[in-house]
Amino acid sequence: MAGSNASGKVFLKACECLTPFGQSAETLAALLRGERAMQLRSVLGREGGDAVPIALLPGRVLDETAPPSWMEPVRKLLAPVNAAGWGTARRPVFVTSSNFGAGNMHAFRRSGDEAHMKYGALVNCVEWLREQLGWQQNVTIFSHACVSAHLGLLQASRVVEAGLADEALVFSFDFLSPFVSGGFHALKILNADFPAPYMNRATGSIGLGDGAGYAVLTRTKGDFSISAQSMYNEMHHFTANQPDGAGFEACLAPIAAQLAGRRVWLKGHGTGTLDAGRMESGAFAKAFPGAPLVGWKGSLGHTLGSCGLVELAIASAALRSGRTPGTIGSGAPTFTAEVALEPFANDKFDGVICASNAFGGAHAALLLSHA
Amino acid sequence: MTDPLISRLKHLIVDTLRLDGVTPADIDESAPLIGSGLALDSIDALELVVKIEKEFGIKIGSSEESRQALASINSLASFIRARTAG
Repeated sequence: MAGSNASGKVFLKACECLTPFGQSAETLAALLRGERAMQLRSVLGREGGDAVPIALLPGRVLDETAPPSWMEPVRKLLAPVNAAGWGTARRPVFVTSSNFGAGNMHAFRRSGDEAHMKYGALVNCVEWLREQLGWQQNVTIFSHACVSAHLGLLQASRVVEAGLADEALVFSFDFLSPFVSGGFHALKILNADFPAPYMNRATGSIGLGDGAGYAVLTRTKGDFSISAQSMYNEMHHFTANQPDGAGFEACLAPIAAQLAGRRVWLKGHGTGTLDAGRMESGAFAKAFPGAPLVGWKGSLGHTLGSCGLVELAIASAALRSGRTPGTIGSGAPTFTAEVALEPFANDKFDGVICASNAFGGAHAALLLSHA
Repeated sequence: MTDPLISRLKHLIVDTLRLDGVTPADIDESAPLIGSGLALDSIDALELVVKIEKEFGIKIGSSEESRQALASINSLASFIRARTAG
């Protein structure tokens, strides 16, 4: 078992995301309306296969292209902060993803077209991205399945808190491909059903979504602060969680200890799988009794390694607007009474705990609040 | 007399998963396949599901169904029979 915590405070100078609905404001508005971004699409793109819930950026297809079709949307997403000159000693970049260009590597294997290899391997992909975005060489890559973005945030926070950097840019991107959707489909957790996070039903299912996000962290003023972060790895099994849910609880404990009576709402991971949903919602109810729990992957799908940043940007937008979207796609009965199915006003709360979980019992959580 | 489907499944498991030191005769058809018993893990289960779908031309729809089907050799045989009947 291993834990890793940061208790200092960093500010979010900027935080934004990209989903099939648009950036955080458009995404928040769609979630508040209860809209679902996912549609049933062929799991292998043009090669067909079963229809499964997938959410793609408008105009993008699942099949790989060279260069990748996600580059221009990413360039637009980063435009407001990218002019500042990133990748220097005092302004490092942390890139996280669980996919990088895995789809292009698969396309190369299938087609033999070497154009795909420029984006296919992890380091190639980030190097290409660095050149495209004009970053200097101080770019660090982290990948830890679906807690990748949290890991990037934690490491960037430490660098900023320690005074080793003036600001840090954390950027995460996960765009779908037949390689990724086919893999989850083979596991049978991506199937014909739309996900219903935290719903106590007979069959679980997830959906997948395109997503990217960024955060600029500073030691000085921003609209929001991250005042506690926790990561915990169960080391129990290389894919499975400890069955009693102790890993979820261990990750939340350091955050709970720092709340000091503050009222929070909870943005959970909530992919739609049954075992993890039951354990996660149970751990939340135990650590934060009565706090409303929401999950948004029933609309957006799971944006994999980027979900921590995508959903952080949406949570920031929710705090800014005073309204929190409910758990879209879910319904009664839920695993715990705290699962909020409908939107609610969040102006009486002091902040939100955002959590993500990953294959192999890796857990992450942070406390976000108005600065 | 050995059920031909049970025998086929035992061979398929040993061959697909390349189980060192395990022969088809060693596999107890009522013992759990995952965790205890044969102690297969989730990656083994994934390989097995893909192989079974291809070999028998059936679909396993969800992870819950997969777990139920892979409870033992006997349950796997029942699952396949139910899906291929008629």
